[in-house]
Amino acid sequence: MSDGYEILTLDEVERAEHRGSNLIPVRYTLDYRPAGVNAWIADVGGQLIPPHEEDSGNEELYAVVRGRASFVVGDETKDAPAGSLIFVEAGHNRTATAEEDGTIVFVVGATIGEAFDGGGWDTFAVAYGLYQAGRIDESRAVMEKAMSDRPDQWALPYNAACLASLAGNPDEAIDWLHKALELNQEEIYEYLRSDSDLDNIREDPRFQELLK
Amino acid sequence: MNVTNIDDLAGIELADGFVWRPVRRHFGIKAFGVNVYTPGASRQIVEEHTEGQLEHEEIYLVLRGRVKFTIDGNEHELGQGQLVFVRDTSLKRAGVALTDDAAVLAIGGKPGEAFEVSAWETWFSAAPLVEAKKWDEVIAVYNEALTERPDHPALLYNLACMEAQAGYADDALAHLQRAVELQPDFAESAAGDEDFASIKDDPRFPR
Repeated sequence: MSDGYEILTLDEVERAEHRGSNLIPVRYTLDYRPAGVNAWIADVGGQLIPPHEEDSGNEELYAVVRGRASFVVGDETKDAPAGSLIFVEAGHNRTATAEEDGTIVFVVGATIGEAFDGGGWDTFAVAYGLYQAGRIDESRAVMEKAMSDRPDQWALPYNAACLASLAGNPDEAIDWLHKALELNQEEIYEYLRSDSDLDNIREDPRFQELLK
Repeated sequence: MNVTNIDDLAGIELADGFVWRPVRRHFGIKAFGVNVYTPGASRQIVEEHTEGQLEHEEIYLVLRGRVKFTIDGNEHELGQGQLVFVRDTSLKRAGVALTDDAAVLAIGGKPGEAFEVSAWETWFSAAPLVEAKKWDEVIAVYNEALTERPDHPALLYNLACMEAQAGYADDALAHLQRAVELQPDFAESAAGDEDFASIKDDPRFPR
């Protein structure tokens, strides 16, 4: 194989738990840049796609690669065997559950008229998965690499702060929150007040200082 | 719900013998490029090409069956749930189906840029009509694409090719002139292009 291409087997990619679903982090693994590409896997009865609306404005196409899924978009439910393609425009609530063991759904998403910018939610899911498995150093390395690749993306240092808080490193968490606030003043305050990931540092005077 | 199955999508068999199933067009997706390919008579499933011009980074995911990909001269046999990501746009890539039921999902786009519908979708959709020499229908397909992208040099050039063959000399010359204005090296291509035989001697033919 040369450097210019890569082969990936979805079953062999290390999964990350994300909002009750099992993410196969394709975009993160490949560092694919033109669109959001990921996959989800579940056994019968398991949640494939975490319920969401794509308030980011993304159009999404889901492809059932293996098994059988039950898709819910808005009020409608459809049986989707392997080979099904489901297109969902932004703003519609969607979720899916597996009807067979080992069901895999692949998804592509991006916003009309905009260069793709995923915001790094999937990178965070990978880092959070490593954190939960007790692999704190690997988790931190994932976030640090993402932040050096995307120094303008406030959600990354914010999420790094959450992980540091959960891992019991208040100094690190406070440093990351300062970094995030340098990049974004508006949205972060809403999260700061209520995010349970930050509960470990909520009583820290430095955190109280940030809220002022 | 906007749902279909890959077997229910329209299929257009192209010259190399692969079948294009236009997913993006079917759903009217505007944010990214996505299509399904299935094998035709020749068992080709992904035509041999590079992305040197469009600079699209491509992913080919095998949805079903087995496919032998040749990337940069290396062969890889992939099955359901396996994909190849070709980051280097200059690499030659192609795929041949090893089973009749093979289906490949292709995704492509240029990093850092908003997606634009590729002009090749127009050539692919018009291909069966060109084959059948249904020129008025071919011209309608091109004109539809041009309403969205009126200054696309390659669309204008190809429309001129079709109009020249259909005998619409004035339209062909006007569109060819515009294509050359936008992309001057089309003058050289036109000089050697047999599609323009009927208008080559016209003084308006770009030189």
